[in-house]
Amino acid sequence: MPVTGVYFIPAHPNASTALGNITERLRSSFPDEDLIQLGRWTLEQKLMRDTPGLLPTSSGPNQRPSKPRYMQFLSLSHYHNHGFIYTSEPTEKPFHPHNAASPSPAATPATPGLQGAGAGAGVGAGAGAATTGSVNDSTTSNISPMLMTTVPHSSYSTLFQHFTYACQPFWCHRLTVVVQNGVFYDIGDFRVRLGDVRQTYPTNRVRGAVVEIEWRGPSVIDSLDGAVTSDVNGETDSGVDVSLSALEESDVDAEFAATALLIREFWVRVGVEGAREAILVPGVGSEVKERLVKIKGAKNTGGGLSGPTEDDPNPQAGTDVARQYMEVLRFNR
Amino acid sequence: MHELLLFASVPTHQHAELLQQLAGLTAMQPRHCFERRLIFKAYRKPGVANARVGASQDLQSGDLQRVNKMLNGGMFYTQVVGPVQSTDFADAGVTDAAANANPNPVNPDPDTDTKMDGMDSESSIPRSAYDFDQQSWQLEFRDIPEAGTRSAVTSRVMATAALPRGDIVPSMNAWGYSFVTEYLVEGDMFIHNDIVLNLHRVLHYPTTPGEENQPRHQMPTLQQMAPLEKSGSYVLQASMMVQDGSNQETMKTASQHLFGLREQLKSAVRLEMADRLSLDTRVK
Repeated sequence: MPVTGVYFIPAHPNASTALGNITERLRSSFPDEDLIQLGRWTLEQKLMRDTPGLLPTSSGPNQRPSKPRYMQFLSLSHYHNHGFIYTSEPTEKPFHPHNAASPSPAATPATPGLQGAGAGAGVGAGAGAATTGSVNDSTTSNISPMLMTTVPHSSYSTLFQHFTYACQPFWCHRLTVVVQNGVFYDIGDFRVRLGDVRQTYPTNRVRGAVVEIEWRGPSVIDSLDGAVTSDVNGETDSGVDVSLSALEESDVDAEFAATALLIREFWVRVGVEGAREAILVPGVGSEVKERLVKIKGAKNTGGGLSGPTEDDPNPQAGTDVARQYMEVLRFNR
Repeated sequence: MHELLLFASVPTHQHAELLQQLAGLTAMQPRHCFERRLIFKAYRKPGVANARVGASQDLQSGDLQRVNKMLNGGMFYTQVVGPVQSTDFADAGVTDAAANANPNPVNPDPDTDTKMDGMDSESSIPRSAYDFDQQSWQLEFRDIPEAGTRSAVTSRVMATAALPRGDIVPSMNAWGYSFVTEYLVEGDMFIHNDIVLNLHRVLHYPTTPGEENQPRHQMPTLQQMAPLEKSGSYVLQASMMVQDGSNQETMKTASQHLFGLREQLKSAVRLEMADRLSLDTRVK
C-alpha cells in the first residue's frame, strides 16, 4: 500500500496529449536516471451518473439543484484481483414501506454488543468487506461523500451490465475512458506510470494524459505489511509491536501529508503545467487505516487475523490509488 | 445470460423417495445446502420519478427524451445470496443427516427445547461460530420471465455477480437498493448433464425485534425456522443457463434438454413452466 499521487493533464479533443512532453521532461529533469520502460499498464473507467440529475434543473418541479451522484467503475492492471466501484453515498435514507418504524437497538439486548464488535474490531476483519465511508471530505469536492467497494474481477463487468440493464431510472452510463498502452518507469525512489487517456464511449476522443507517481522509498506504512506477515507466522517481533501500537490514524495522515510533499516536489521538478492533482483526496489513507484497525483488532481480541481468502488475498489493495484516479477522471461531460 | 426453468411441486411424503430417485438418475448423492437470501428493492427518490418535462416542446433535445425514457424504465427487486453451512446455525449439533431425517423442524424434539430455554436466560440469541463479516455474497438478478414465448419453458434474463464479504448493505444502499427482508432456502442439489436440479423449500426466520431492517448478524437454530409452506412441501426446480440468449439455436437445444428430463421424470413428478407473473421481479 504505497503512497501515490495522480496527475491528469487535459487535452483538446483532436490535439495530441502531453504524454510526449512529459516523457521528455522526465528525461531532462532527471539526467542521472536511466529511463527504462519496465512494463505496461492499463486502466479502464466507466462513469455513471444518477439519471434524475441529468434533467435540466429548470424543467423539474423541485427547483433546488441536487448534488450529482456518481458511480465509477475502475479497473487497473496493477491491481488485477479486483475492480473498484466508487459510489456516492445515498443522499437520503432508503425508503422502507414496511418497516417504517425505525429499529431501536435497545430492544435487543444481545445485538448492540455484536454490532459494537462489528463496528470496532470487525471493520477490517471482513476480508472482503471492502466498504468504507469517506468521512472527512468536506474540503475540496462539492459532491456527496463516496463509498468504495471492491468486487472480484469476474463480477466487475457483470455488475456494470446489471446497472445499465436493470437500474436505468437511477443510473445512466455517461462515459468510458481507457488507458491502453500505459508505460511505467522507476526514477529514484519513485515509480512513474504514464498513459494516454482516451474516451471510448459515447464517442472516441482524446481526453488527456495521466501520470501516477508512487513513492517507493522508506515509509512508516510499509511496516504494516511486515507486521501482518509476522503475525500470521506467529513470530511477532516485539520491536514491531511497539511501533505499531504507537502508530495512530493521525500518524497515517501525517505520513500521507509528508509523502504528498515529496510527490509534489517531484512533479514541480518535472514541471508540466496545467495538471489536475489528486493526492490527498477524500478518504485517501483509509486503505492503510483499515489495515491498522485490522492488525490492532486482531491483537486486542487475541483472535487470529483473518487470513487471506483464496479468491482475493487483499480486497482493500489499491483503493487509495483508485480513489485518486477516480477523482481526476470524474469528467462532467 | 439466460436461464431456462421448469418447476414441480413435491409434497412432503414424496420428498424422501424423490431424493432417492434423483440420486439414481443423476448418479450422485444429494448435496445439501442452505442459502441466505436477502431481498433488496430498487429505490429512487420519491417525487423525482414524476419529473416529466411538460409537453416536450424543445424537441431538439433527443438527449432529454432519452433521459426521460430511462427515468421511466423498469426497476427490480434483486437478491443477494450467501451460502451457509449447517454448522452456522446456532446449535451446531444439527448435522445434514439430522436435518434430512427430520422433515418437519417446526416440532423440535423436547431436549433441544430445554437446552434452548437454558441459553435464553443468558442471551436471547444462541451463539454459533457464524461470522457475519466473513459471509460471502453474490448478487442474483432475475428479470421477469419473457412473455409470449411459444416454448413451454420459463425463460428469463439473469445475472450473477460475486460481492465482497461481510456487511453488504452500505454498498447496496449506495448503488440504489434498500434491504427489504430475508429468508432461507434449504434444499438438495443435483447436477444432471447441463441441468441443475434443486429440491428446496423456503424457511422463514423467527421474528426478532429490531432485526427486520438489516440482515441478521447471527443465525437462529434451524429448529426455530418455519417453512413458508405450512404443509412442508418442496419445490423441484430444473434450471439451465444459456450464455447467449439471443441465439435461437442454443435456446432451442437447451429447452429440448429440459423436455428430455421432463420425460424421464414423468412418472415421479410433473415438471412444468411457472406462471410468469408469479416470478415477477419488477418494482411496481
